[in-house]
Amino acid sequence: MSDDRGHPAPSGRSGELAARQAELVATLVAGGPLPPGFAPGPVDAARRALLRKRAGDVARHWPLLAAGLGAAWPATFTGWAAGRPTNGSLRDGWDLARELRERGELPPLGAEELACREAASRYDGAGAPRRRRLPALARTGGAVAVQLAGRVRLLRPARR
Amino acid sequence: MRRRVRGRMRRMTGPGTATTGPDAGAAGAGRAGAGAGEVAGASPGPAGVGIGWRPEIGGFVADLPGLRFVEVVAETLAPHGPPPAGLAELVERGVTVVPHGVKLSLGGAEPVDPARVSHLARVAELVGAPLVSEHIAFVRAGGVEAGHLLPLPRSREAVAAVVANVRRAQAELPVPLALEPIAALFDWPDDELDEADFLTEILDATGATLLLDIANVHANARNRGTDPLALLDRLPLGRVAYVHVAGGAEQGGFYHDTHTHPVPPVVLDLVGELCARHRPPALLLERDGHWPPAPELRAELDAIAAASGYPVVT
Repeated sequence: MSDDRGHPAPSGRSGELAARQAELVATLVAGGPLPPGFAPGPVDAARRALLRKRAGDVARHWPLLAAGLGAAWPATFTGWAAGRPTNGSLRDGWDLARELRERGELPPLGAEELACREAASRYDGAGAPRRRRLPALARTGGAVAVQLAGRVRLLRPARR
Repeated sequence: MRRRVRGRMRRMTGPGTATTGPDAGAAGAGRAGAGAGEVAGASPGPAGVGIGWRPEIGGFVADLPGLRFVEVVAETLAPHGPPPAGLAELVERGVTVVPHGVKLSLGGAEPVDPARVSHLARVAELVGAPLVSEHIAFVRAGGVEAGHLLPLPRSREAVAAVVANVRRAQAELPVPLALEPIAALFDWPDDELDEADFLTEILDATGATLLLDIANVHANARNRGTDPLALLDRLPLGRVAYVHVAGGAEQGGFYHDTHTHPVPPVVLDLVGELCARHRPPALLLERDGHWPPAPELRAELDAIAAASGYPVVT
């Protein structure tokens, strides 16, 4: 099949383009090898630029987490995110905050933000967070947040 | 024909009003944008100097007295409204609002997601847009999100993939579609076409108009070591619906199109070169973060007005 200007319709070889696009995305965000023929320097510059952009996107969704880490935010985020494809900024920040909590490196502002998020929504680490219908209490790093009828309040600040 | 219609929130009659469709193809090439004013309820096409509306600068944008044109990231709008308060106010004022998609992945080898096209169509109706825009790029593959716009190989196979997806989108959109070439830090190893031929083939086959990002022209030329003026000389400038102007920065031996830095003088010079060849109907400042104080942002808008000869909007 071709259109009125004689271009082939994207059948047949489109499977090849699909596979090569998937390979390139894996290189850029999932730690995959460099596909043959690509220049390593420019592709690596793009990989790092994607991480910086993603760090900014996640900081907008998790402003207190990012502010709590301050100057360490870009390196902390990119160190965690390199080789790990995004699940969206909300989940990325949530996963990072939980990991920092396990490592004992979650700053107080981040603990308060995480406690408020966990009081508001249930997040199993695998799918989209879901709003809680029932009242809930969440504790992280000394911070205590409560959610009643969808309204979240920080009852106690995190340990400083 | 340019009309301003009040009560632009009302729904249009669907794909039947589209001025470009799968068959508009070559016959519609180069003049698809002309149909924009004919869509019932749509505002006039982009004109003069505009700015990308973002919630963080909603107050600043609302206070620009001469503003007639903004763009909004389509994915940030709820399809059934209402639009965010500041944006709704601009629609009421008769300011043209163009939804700008960033996640359609028109360059993906897989067919474009119908739900994403449908969302873009609904938000176009919501704000009474005369056109919508998207990128010649892919943003996901094999079920993995790249998180940003990635370049295509400039091959006939990629042209065919883009054309097929653009036609699928045009069939569902109530208004014309403008396509934006991206800034790429790297190229594919197997390019068959140069950038001008690659873009022209896509525009010819789809009847889409061009959203030219002049900062991307600079970025690509700088990073590839080519001449930006040579590209301007070969692009179909008569098909430009509007132009993006954005800031960026040199880092690690590359120019990065960040949208979070000031517009560098070299990009403003290119605005002048572009307008000397063929002045586009509208130019829009894109700033996505690290907002400067209001006077600096106003100065950037004024500089674009000065470089293009359009009236200041501040």
